[in-house]
Amino acid sequence: MKKWNKRRTDKEIPLLFSIILVFCILGAVVFSVAHKITMEMSASAIQNLSESLDLMKGTIEAILTKEAEFQRMVAQEVALMDKPEEFILSYDRNQTMVKISLIMSGEDKGISNTGEVFYRDGLDFSEGETVAGLLVSHSYLNYMGTWAYSMKCPVIRDNNEIAVLYVEYVYDSFDQALPDGFYNGKAMLYIMDSESKRLVLKPKGMGERDAGHLNLEDFYRANNIMEKELRAEVSDCVENGKPVLFYHDIRKKSALNYMWPVNNGTIYLIGYVPVEAIQQEGRTVNQNILIVVMVMLVAFILCCILYCFNQRQQDKTRKEREEEREIHNKRLAEALQAAQIASNSKTMFLSNMSHDIRTPMNAVLGFTALLARDAENPVKVREYTKKITASGQHLLSLINDILDVSKIESGKVVLTVEEFTLNDLVSSVDAIIRPMAKAREQNFNVEVTGIKHEYLMGDETRINQILINLLSNAVKYTPEGGNIWFRIIGLKQHSSQYEHIRIEVQDDGYGMTPEYLKTIFDAFTRAENSTTNKVQGTGLGMAITKNIVELMGGTIDVSSEVGKGTLFKVELEFRIPEGKANRLFWEQSGISRILAIAFDTDECNNIKTLMSAVGVLADTATSAEEAMHMVQDSSTGISYNMVLFDCNMQEEGCINIAKKIRDTVLDSVPLVILSDYGSDSMEEVLNMANTGIMSKPFFVSSFKEKIIEMQAEANEETAQETEEDNNLEGLHFLAAEDNEINAEILSEILSIEGASCEIVENGQFALERFASSTEEEFDAILMDVQMPVMNGYDATRAIRALKRKDAVKIPIIAMTANAFAEDERDALEAGMNIHLAKPVDVGLLKKVIKQCIQGKE
Amino acid sequence: MYKNRKFNLILAVCFLIAVVSVTSSCGNKKTSKNLITSEKASKKPVNLFGPMEKSKPDAVNKARSAFDITVGMAEEKLGINVEYRTYTAENYKEKTYDDVTLDRVRNNMDDLYLLNPDTIQILGEEGELLDLSVLENSNNLREVVKIANTVDGKLVAIPQEVVVNGLFVNKDLFDKYNLELPETPEDLLECCQVFKENGYETPIGANRWWLENFVFAQAYADLYNGGNTEAEIEALNSGKSKYSDYMRQGFEYLKKLSDLGYIDAETAYTYEAIEGEGPGFLAQKTPIVMAYWGAANSETAYGKPDFELQVIGFPSKLGQMPVVSMTGYGISAEAEHLEDAIDVLDIIISDKALTDYAKTNKVISPSKNVEIECIPALKPLNDKIKENVYVLGSNAGMKVEQWGNTCLIVRDLLKGATVDECMAKFDKLQEKSLNR
Repeated sequence: MKKWNKRRTDKEIPLLFSIILVFCILGAVVFSVAHKITMEMSASAIQNLSESLDLMKGTIEAILTKEAEFQRMVAQEVALMDKPEEFILSYDRNQTMVKISLIMSGEDKGISNTGEVFYRDGLDFSEGETVAGLLVSHSYLNYMGTWAYSMKCPVIRDNNEIAVLYVEYVYDSFDQALPDGFYNGKAMLYIMDSESKRLVLKPKGMGERDAGHLNLEDFYRANNIMEKELRAEVSDCVENGKPVLFYHDIRKKSALNYMWPVNNGTIYLIGYVPVEAIQQEGRTVNQNILIVVMVMLVAFILCCILYCFNQRQQDKTRKEREEEREIHNKRLAEALQAAQIASNSKTMFLSNMSHDIRTPMNAVLGFTALLARDAENPVKVREYTKKITASGQHLLSLINDILDVSKIESGKVVLTVEEFTLNDLVSSVDAIIRPMAKAREQNFNVEVTGIKHEYLMGDETRINQILINLLSNAVKYTPEGGNIWFRIIGLKQHSSQYEHIRIEVQDDGYGMTPEYLKTIFDAFTRAENSTTNKVQGTGLGMAITKNIVELMGGTIDVSSEVGKGTLFKVELEFRIPEGKANRLFWEQSGISRILAIAFDTDECNNIKTLMSAVGVLADTATSAEEAMHMVQDSSTGISYNMVLFDCNMQEEGCINIAKKIRDTVLDSVPLVILSDYGSDSMEEVLNMANTGIMSKPFFVSSFKEKIIEMQAEANEETAQETEEDNNLEGLHFLAAEDNEINAEILSEILSIEGASCEIVENGQFALERFASSTEEEFDAILMDVQMPVMNGYDATRAIRALKRKDAVKIPIIAMTANAFAEDERDALEAGMNIHLAKPVDVGLLKKVIKQCIQGKE
Repeated sequence: MYKNRKFNLILAVCFLIAVVSVTSSCGNKKTSKNLITSEKASKKPVNLFGPMEKSKPDAVNKARSAFDITVGMAEEKLGINVEYRTYTAENYKEKTYDDVTLDRVRNNMDDLYLLNPDTIQILGEEGELLDLSVLENSNNLREVVKIANTVDGKLVAIPQEVVVNGLFVNKDLFDKYNLELPETPEDLLECCQVFKENGYETPIGANRWWLENFVFAQAYADLYNGGNTEAEIEALNSGKSKYSDYMRQGFEYLKKLSDLGYIDAETAYTYEAIEGEGPGFLAQKTPIVMAYWGAANSETAYGKPDFELQVIGFPSKLGQMPVVSMTGYGISAEAEHLEDAIDVLDIIISDKALTDYAKTNKVISPSKNVEIECIPALKPLNDKIKENVYVLGSNAGMKVEQWGNTCLIVRDLLKGATVDECMAKFDKLQEKSLNR
C-alpha cells in the first residue's frame, strides 16, 4: 500500500507542476494581453485627447480669427466715416466685444464706447503676438471684473493710417464654444494666458473649486506637481509654444495632464483627465478578460474537483474490491483450513470408526467362530452369545450416534414436545448413571433446587439424551473414587409461562486442555491422551448435545481445568403446562394442607413452592419441636392432611424423630419420609403405620405416586402382578422381507416362540398373498419398508385399501432399519400399527405383537 | 453511487446557470436605431461670484464645504446649477476682490455675490443690490444682522454666519511665560514685550486686512456697549460727532504696536489673510494673530494646531471685545437669473440650511432659531457674544462705510502715514457722507 501511495505521489508531483506551469503560462499570456490592450487603449486615448484638444484649439483660433477679421471690417467702416468718434460712442457692447476704443493718429489718448477717455498706455502689446495679422495685448482684468484681451487694428483711409481701433474681447466668450465637460465631465479645462500664466477662464461648478484656479503656480500647487524636472520641461514647452502631455497624480488619482498651445502659444488650454476616464474602455476590456479568466479558472477547478472526486471514487471502489478480495481470500483460506480440518477429522473419524466398528465386529465374528466350534457346549454358547450381544449393542450405539449427528446436521430433527416431569427425568437418569458411577466407585450427587414447576413441556427423550451424554462423559472421564454432581437449579423466570432451569454436571475428573475446550463441541473430536485413550466413544456425543440444546433454544457452556475437573452448564426454558389435572388429584384426594418438616430452610421453601403450584398449602417446620408444637396446637384449628418429613440420615435420631411424629399425629394422617437412600436401612420406619418412604429429591409427582401407593395399601388392594403371557404360540404371520438372512432370523425367532411365518420378497408379493389369503389366515403382517418392486408403505396402503373385512383390522407391524421418528410417522400414516426398528428386540416384538392382536380382538 | 449522481446533478445545474447567465449577458435590448440613448438634461444656471483661497494640495476647505452643502440643497430642490465664478488677487498690486466685485456687480456679470461689508454698503447705496426682505426666510434673521446689512431701508445682504473676529493666541506660549490672556490694550503691550524679550521678533502676526479690528475694538467699545448706541450713531451720521475722535486711539495704538516692533507694518501691508502670517503662527514663531471665527474650525486655516489655541476678543478698555462683521450674499438687482437667484438664496438661508451650515462650521448662525455648541478654543469669544459684548466692524446704518474704509486707512498707516493724516481721511469721508 505504501509503495502504491509513493508511486501515486511520484505521479502527482509532476502533474501538479504541470498544472502550475500551465497556470503560470496562462497568467503571463493574460497579463501580457491585458497590458497590451491597456497600452493600446492608452495610446488611443492619448490620440483621442490630442484630437479633442486640437479641435478646441481650432475652435478658439477660429473665433480669434473671426474676431480679427470683424475688427478689420469695423476699422474699414470707421475709415469711411467722417466722425468716427460718434460711431465709437454709438457702439453697444456684446458678449464678445465688450469695449471699442479709437485713438486718432498722432494723439496719445482717444475715446471708448463707454464714454471714458482711452489711453494707449493702458494696454501692453509688447509681446508682438498677432491674430490674423492684428496685434494682441496681454490678458488683463477689465472694467467688468473679468479677464479680457484687446486687439488693435489700424484704420486706413486712402492708404494712410488715420487712427488705431482697439477692441476689447472677454475670455468668457470662449466658454460657450468649449465643451461643458469632456470625458464624461471628468476632464478639467482652463485657459491660461501664456505671458502672465494667469488662468483666465476656469471650470464652473462646485467640485471645480477644489482645483488650482489662480495661475499656473497655483495649478501646480493644488495638484501637487512639484517635481522640478517636470516643471522645467513643461515651462520650456510653454515658452516655446509646444504642446505638453504628461502623467501625474491629481488628488491621489493617476491623471493625464495637458498643456495645449492656441494661437502659437499666446494662450494655452491646460487641465487634466483622470486615467480611469481615459482608459475606461481598456479597463472594461481587462475586466471582461479577467472575468473570462476567472470563469475558466473556476471551470478548471471544477474539472479538477470532478477529476479528484472521480479518482477518489475509483480509489474507494478499488480499495473496497481489494478488501472484498482479501475477505474472500481469507474466507477461502478459512474454508480450506476448515475443509482440511474436517477432512482430517473425518479421516480420523473414519480411522476411529474403523477401529471402533472393527473391534466389536471382530468380537462378533470371533465369538461366532467360537460359537460354531463350541456349539455343543451350552455354557460356552451362552457366554459367547452374551458377548456377541454386547458387541452388537455397542455397534448399534455407534451407528445410532453417527446417524443422529447426520440427522441433526441436516436439520431433520424434530422435537417431540410433550408433558414430562422432572421427577421422571431425574429418576431415569439416576437409574442409568448411578450404577455406572457405582461401578467406578464414584460418588454421584443429585441436587434439585429452586424449581417452581416440575411438570413441564419438552422433548423428554432428547433432554434425557443430553443428560446421559454429559453424565456418562463425567463418569467416563472421572477416575475411580471421584465425585460427580448433577444439579437442576431453578432460575428466575423470564416469563411466567416458562420455567427457566439450569442443569449443571460437574466432576473432579481429568479435565480438559484449553485447546481441546475450543473444539469440544465439534463433531468427530474426542479427547485422547494417555489417560483417556482407553475410553471408547464416537466423539460425537458433545456435538449432538450442543445441537440438541441449541435446537431447544438453550445454551451450553463448559469450563474445565486439567486435573481439576469439568463443569457443564446447560440453560433451558420449558413451557409450563396447564396444571388443572395435577390440581384435580390433590382436590380429589382431599389434600389441601400438609406439614413439611425439614432441617434445611431451602428445602422447606422448595417443598412449599412446589406444593403451592398444585394448590396445596405447605406449612413448614425446621425442627422436630416446632413440628410437634404445630401438630399438637389445637388452638389454631389447623389440621394437616399429610406430614412430610425430610429425614437427613446424617442428623442423629432422625428415625426417632420420625417415630415421634408418627406417634403424635393421627394414624389416619399419612407420613411420608423423604430419604437420600430410599428405603435402605429404613426398615424400622416401614413398620410404622400409614408411613411411606420416598427418595430425594422431592418432586410433587413422586410424592403423588407415593400417596397413591399408600392409598392402595390402605385399601388393602394388593396388586397381584400377573405375568403377562407373551407366548406367540399358534400365531401365523405374513412377513415381507427382501433380505434373506433377516427373513431367516425372523422366521427362526418366531418358530422358537411357537409361531409360524410366511416370507415374501417384497410388498407386491405381500399384497398379493394377503389378497389371496382366507380371512384370518394371518394374525399379523410383519412389513419391511425398503423393498424392491413395492415398498412397505405402498404395500400397507394397498392392503388397507383392499375390500375385505380384515384388510383394515389386520395388524401391520413395520420392521425396518429406518429408525427415525419421521420413519415411524410415515409408517403410521401409511396405515401400519406399530413401528419397530431393526435389529429386532425379540421381547419387544413379542410384546408388540401381543398388544396388536389383543387390540384386534 | 447515489452521492456521485447527486454531485453530477449539481454540476450540471451550475453549468446550465452559467450558460444562461453568459447568454443573457451577451444579449442586447435594441429598441431604437438611434445610438444616443440618453441626453443630458440641461439645467438652468445661477451664477455665483465669490472669493477663492489659493489652493493647498489635497486639503479640504471645511467652511466652503458647509456652504456647498447648502447650495446642494438648493440645487436639488430647484433643479438648477449654481455655477461658481471666482477671483483672487495674485498679489497686493492687483485689483482686490472687492474691486472686482464692484465691477462685476455694476456690469451685471453674475446673479449672486458674496460681498464684504464695504461693498455691501457701496453697492447698496448705488442701488445695485436687490432688497432681500422679500425672501421668506429673512424674517428669521437676528435683529443685529438686519441692522448691519440694511442700507437706505433695504436689506441688501444676508450672511450665512455672523463673522466674529478675535485674537488667536497660542495659550501654551502664554503659559510658558506665565502671562495672563490680555484684557486691555496695556495688557497686550506687556505680553508683547515679554515675547519680544524672549526672542519672538514679531509677537503679533498681521495681514493687510484685519488689523482694523484693533481699531474697532477700541473705537466702538463704548458706542456699542454703553447703552446709547443709536444716539451716538445718529450723532456721527449728522456730523455732530466725528469718526476720527472715535478712531484716533485705535490708530495710535496700532502705531505704537508698529513702532515697538510688535507688528511688522511692512510685511503686514503685503500679506494676504492667513496666507502671510498663518505659517508663523502654526509654527509657534508668532504667539498672536487675528482671524475670523471660522478659521478656528478650518483645516485650511488654524483648525489643527500643534498647541492649545484660544480665541479671545480684541483688547479694549472694557476688556476683551469681539469684533463682528458680516460678509453677506447679495443679489444683483439686474441679475440675468433673478428669480432663480432669489430662490437659491432663500433656501441657503433657511433654518434647515443654516443649521447644517452652523453644525458643519461650528459658527454663530444669523438665524435666531439656530443655536449650536462651539469648539473649546472659541469658548471665550462665544461667551462674550452670549453676553452681548461686542462691537460691529461694519454697520450699514453708519453713513461712512466702516469695514472697507478703515481697512484702507490702516494700510495708509502701515505705509507710513501719521495718525493725524489718517484721521483727516476719516474727516474727509465724513464730510463726503454729509454732502451726499
